[in-house]
This record gives sequence, structure tokens and C-alpha cells, in this order.
Amino acid sequence: MKKLIALVLALAMALSLVACGSSSSTTTTSDTTTDSSAAAATDSDEVIYLTIWSPTDEAAVEEWWVEKLAEWNEANPNIQVSREAIDRSDSYAYDNKIATAVTSNDLPDIFYVDGPQVSYYAANGVTVPLDDYFTAEDLEDFVDSAVTQNTYDGQLYAIGATESSVAFFYNKDYLTECGVDVDDLDSRTIDNPITWSEFLEIAEKCTTDSYVGTHIIMDHGEGLPYALEPLYVSEGVDYISDDGTTAEGYVNSAEAVTTTAWLANIIANGYANIDPIDDEFLNGACATMLGGSWDIATLEESADFEWGVTYYPVSDDTGTAVSPCGDWAAAISKNCENVDAAGEFLQWLMNTENVATYAAAIAKPATRSSAYDEEAMADYAEGARALIVEQLENTASPRPRSPSYANFSSDYAEAMTNIFSDAASTGTVDEDYIQSELDRVSANFTENYETYYAE
Amino acid sequence: MTKASNLSARKRNERIAAYVFVIPAVVLLVAFLVVPMIYTVYYSVFQYQIMRPDDITFIGLKNYVKLFGDSDFWQALKNTVYFTVIVVPCQCALALALALLVSKKFRGVAIFRTMYFSPQLTSMVVISILWTVLYNSNPNTGLINSLLTNLGFDSINFLSNEKTAMNSIIFMSAWQGAGYQMMIFLAGLQGIPGEQYEAASVDGATKFQQFLYVTIPGLQSTIKYVIMITMIQAMKLFTQPYVMTQGGPKNSTKTLVYYIYTQGFQNGNFGYACAVAAVFFVIVVTMSLAMKRVTSATD
Repeated sequence: MKKLIALVLALAMALSLVACGSSSSTTTTSDTTTDSSAAAATDSDEVIYLTIWSPTDEAAVEEWWVEKLAEWNEANPNIQVSREAIDRSDSYAYDNKIATAVTSNDLPDIFYVDGPQVSYYAANGVTVPLDDYFTAEDLEDFVDSAVTQNTYDGQLYAIGATESSVAFFYNKDYLTECGVDVDDLDSRTIDNPITWSEFLEIAEKCTTDSYVGTHIIMDHGEGLPYALEPLYVSEGVDYISDDGTTAEGYVNSAEAVTTTAWLANIIANGYANIDPIDDEFLNGACATMLGGSWDIATLEESADFEWGVTYYPVSDDTGTAVSPCGDWAAAISKNCENVDAAGEFLQWLMNTENVATYAAAIAKPATRSSAYDEEAMADYAEGARALIVEQLENTASPRPRSPSYANFSSDYAEAMTNIFSDAASTGTVDEDYIQSELDRVSANFTENYETYYAE
Repeated sequence: MTKASNLSARKRNERIAAYVFVIPAVVLLVAFLVVPMIYTVYYSVFQYQIMRPDDITFIGLKNYVKLFGDSDFWQALKNTVYFTVIVVPCQCALALALALLVSKKFRGVAIFRTMYFSPQLTSMVVISILWTVLYNSNPNTGLINSLLTNLGFDSINFLSNEKTAMNSIIFMSAWQGAGYQMMIFLAGLQGIPGEQYEAASVDGATKFQQFLYVTIPGLQSTIKYVIMITMIQAMKLFTQPYVMTQGGPKNSTKTLVYYIYTQGFQNGNFGYACAVAAVFFVIVVTMSLAMKRVTSATD
């Protein structure tokens, strides 16, 4: 009897495993039933189901998605769209999710991608061109930087509703205490931004036992190359060549070493923390920061001090004004079986009203010029937000468009972490070490590009 | 039917039952361990960009040749071995000390057991974030540096200095992991008969001598098991460097598993990452066998 019970139990276990394995097919059957009923309900052709992946965001953005998808799905019974919010975490976690989906051929129909990654996905055939759905006339309404960033090899591969920028934020109360002329900072224009030496002077004046003079994004990820690139461009040389094929003579040029040494000097002198806490500026732990356009809403809501914002600092040598830009954009994946339906949905998603309301919900500047006429974007008419839009329209410089940028981004972030760590430990700036680290970044870029993309 | 044939039929049935019981575990092992391992070795001889799974090129042993000349690989191996060599004895000693402490019967001992075990119940990611804040170099925000500066010492860049980063991770890892080993030691301690301590005491053995000549021999098999699992866990170090240091500064916390991850996912060199993973597997198996041989020799 015991043997019989043992055998029955073992068989039950084995069967339960088989059942686990086949659970997905059961779900598929149920989905098919839903599909059929939905199709029957609409009395029309087959219903197309599209899935979107985009990073998880604040409650306002999540609500926007729910509301907008409900609106679309009601108006378009033949194209039903659902969204899956993917945890972005920090550094490169979201990109890893995409990479895994590519290897398992499991990409959604549409997915959001950070601006500089557009070229990487396009060059590897992971995304499809969108030119059939967005004509040159349509794109005239979008800021140049957004279109440029999302274009690879002459074709548009992604389309985004929002942009971003970085500017110089300062704690007016504290700067006044330190004897900095705040009125002068307030009065700067896009033609007369502060220079690196003025930036450094303020940071030095404001560094005390309880404050650091400034804050640099230290996310060990894409935040570093994003926020710091304008310094390099302003000094005269970008990270990578315009055609995206080489970093040799660019990221390791004499100008790049000078720029990096200037940054390392800030760390070596203790004017900025090498491992700053979150919201360091908001928490009154630093006097100034190179902060993002997304910080404005947080500061308006929570800062208990007077703060101001002015244009991104320029090199003393060239005086060339440059500012960061780029944000997440939607792309259609190679696994999408109904590209036309996805294109139609994206056309609707990127209409002026949707762009304006999405930008307002996510507290970022819009990519469409016409969006600023909408009531949702009224905040952008003046003040800090207007300054951000002014930078986007006049000084924005998209990040390099190269299929090897993904490699470059992590290598550059690692090199800068090493350089800053060296500066913080020794209290000095070693230009030879900076050169060797930037040479390594360049060599890795060359190896990656030559291995996978060079013809 | 004779008694002998009854016995043989029973044995046969038992054998069949044993196979049936084993099948689910074997199926899972094959699906999630053996097949991925075979695929890892297979892909290691290809040039495989992670974004192009349909466009891979056979390159023979080139990935392995590249690996042996790759300074980052050797640095990652060195870091992994350093972490293992330091953390295994430290964590095991700490766990044994805690187990001895909480094996005594006194009021509130359950509270101490729970406290020492509680880090095990928390996600390593959460603990890593917490310790990143504790280790923050700014005395205004980092609790440990605040304590140091209040005591008159200079603040330390725990995680952003290559000389201290790995040791900081080791300290935190030993603190987090010791609770689990403590529970295993505790079970081992409870298996040592009280009479042995009584006999040793009657013979005039001090507490330290009792520990040396009764506790340690009584825990011999437990110690071997704990050392083995701690070593294998230590070799797989990933979460702490991923969350706290991203392998830096200056590669000082880059471990082999973290290196496999960065090569495979961030750099897209999937074939190369597979080659590193295959070599890593050989290293772990070799070290485990060596450890087993060393501990068996002491029997």
C-alpha cells in the first residue's frame, strides 16, 4: 500500500511539473478566446494587440498612460494597446532587459529607448525606421536636437515627446551668505553665460565644513557622459567623431584631457562630493549643481530656500555655449508583426496634445514647438523652464550617434569614476593618469566598432 | 511465491519508485543547469554580439586566447580570490562565535538569535544600498564617517578609494552572511552530547580546552560544510559591487561574475562573456574539489 501511495505521489509531482510547463499554453488559449470575442464584439477585421515597454515613472506619468491608453483603445477597437512598465532602476538595468528580450526574441511591439541608444539598436536591426509615419513636414514641429538624436544613417528610428537639459542651479540664500553676487547670476543671458572659471570661483567660495561648493551627477552610468559632454564640446572636441566611427583623437584629445583635468580638480579640492547623496542640492548639502531640467519641479515643490538657475557654463578658452539634451523616445521593434498599426499608434501618441500633456505629467520640456501653446505647458512661458527651452532651441548638442555608444557610455563612466577616485584620494590631478584612462576608453571603442560595425 | 522472490520484487519496486522520485529533480537540473552550461561552452567559441542572435560567427578558441591576455579578467580573478580568501575565514569565525554566544541558555536569547539572523532575511540589494549610505565619505551624510570625525579621526572614502573599497565590501558581506552560518553551527552545537563537556570538565579541562578538544572536533563535519558553501557563495560575488561600486574604483571591486555581466550585457560581447563564464566554472569546480580534498585529508 505504501509503495502504491509513493508511486501515486511521485506521479502527481511529475504531472504537476508538466502542468507548470504547459500553463502558458493554457493562458494563450484563454487569450485567444478573448481575442476572438473582442473581434466578434467589434464586428470588424482581426483585432491587433500591441504592447509597449517603457520605464516605470512617477504616479502622474503612470496615470497619464492609463488614461491615454484607455482613450486610444476606446476609439480604436481594432488596435488594442497595453503597456508594461519596466523598472528602470539605475545605470543600465532597463537596457539589460531589452538585451535579454532580443536574445529570446521576445521584444514588445514598441519600446522606449534612451536617446543615445537609438543608434545602437538601429545599427543592430533591433528597431525599424519610422520615416513612413513621420514625414519631414511632421518633424518640422519637433526641436532639431530630438530629431537628430533619433536619426541613424539618414533614417528616423525613434520619436519622443520630451526633451531634457542641464543647467547651473544655485542656492541664492547660501551664495549671498558666501558673498557671491547672485544678482549677476540672475541677469546672465544665453549670450553671456558663466564661464568655467566663474563656476570654479563660486564652488571654491561656497565650500565649507557643512557645504560642498557644487554637485556633479555621479550615477556611474549614462548620467556622467550626458551631463558632462557640453564641457568637452565647449572646449572644442566631442567624445566621438561626427560620423560615429572613431573616438581616437576625440575622447583622448588634448582638449578632452584639459576638460577632464578641470573636472578632477573640482573633486581633488573637495568642491564636490565623489559620492553625493540623492537630492544633495535640495537637502541643502551643496551650494550649486549642474542639475537637470527634471529637478525644477522637485525644487519648486520642496525647496525651503531661494534658488535660481542659469545657463550651462562655457569654456573660458572658446566661450562656446553648449548644453545637454536628449530623452527617452518610442521605437518599433523588429518583432512587431503589425508595424503599420504601431506606426499609426505612434502618430497619435506624438500629436501635439499628447506631447503637451505627457511633458507636463513627467515635468520635462516638450519636443514639439506647438506643444508650448497648449494650456498644459503654460509653465514654460517664463522662469527656469523657459530658460531650459531656450537652451534646447539654441545650444543643445545631441550625444554622439554611434552604434558603439553603448560601450562608450559605460567605459567613459568607469574611467571618470577612476579619475575622480584618484583625485579624491590623492588631492591632486594626475594628467598622465587621465590620459591613460581616456586612451583606454578610445581603444575599447575602436575594438568594439571594428569588431561589429566597421565595413 | 518464495520469500526470496518477494524480497527481490520489493527491491525492484523500490528502485523504480526511487527513479520516479528523482525524475523531477533531474529534469529541473538538466533544464536549468546542464543545458545552460552546454550552451555557455557552445557560444564561447563564437563571436556573438548580444543584439544579433541570428548573426553569430564561429571563431574557434579566439575568445579564450583573448581572455588569457585580458588584464581586466586577471584583475577580476584576483579580486574574486582575495574576497574569498578573506571573507571565508572571517565570516565562518564570526558565525561560530555568534553561535557559541547564542547557544547558551539565558533570558532573551531568542531575541539575539533573531537579531543576528535578520540580515539574512533582507534583500542583499537593500542591504547594499543601506551600507552605501553608511559608508558615504561625507561626514554630514555618512554615519560611519560622522562617527569617525566626531572621535577626531579623518573621514575615509570607503567605497571610492581602491585601497578600502573591497575591504569595505568584505566587512559588510561578512556581517550580512554570518547569521545563516550561525544557524548551521547552532544546529551542529546542539548535536554535541552534553556528557562530553561534563567528562572534559571532570578531567579538569578549561572552557577554552573544552572548545578546542570537544566543540571543534564535534563540529568538524559542520565546519567543512560551512566552509564549502561560504566559499562557493563568495566566488559568486556580484550584488554588492553591482550596487555599491560598479566594479570600481580602478577595477578594485570588479569580480569575475560582475565582469561576465558587463562583458555580456553592457558591452554586448556575449560570446566572450560565455568564454569567461566557462573558465569561471572550471575555476569554481577546481577550487571546490581542492577544498574537498584538503578537508577530507583531515579526517
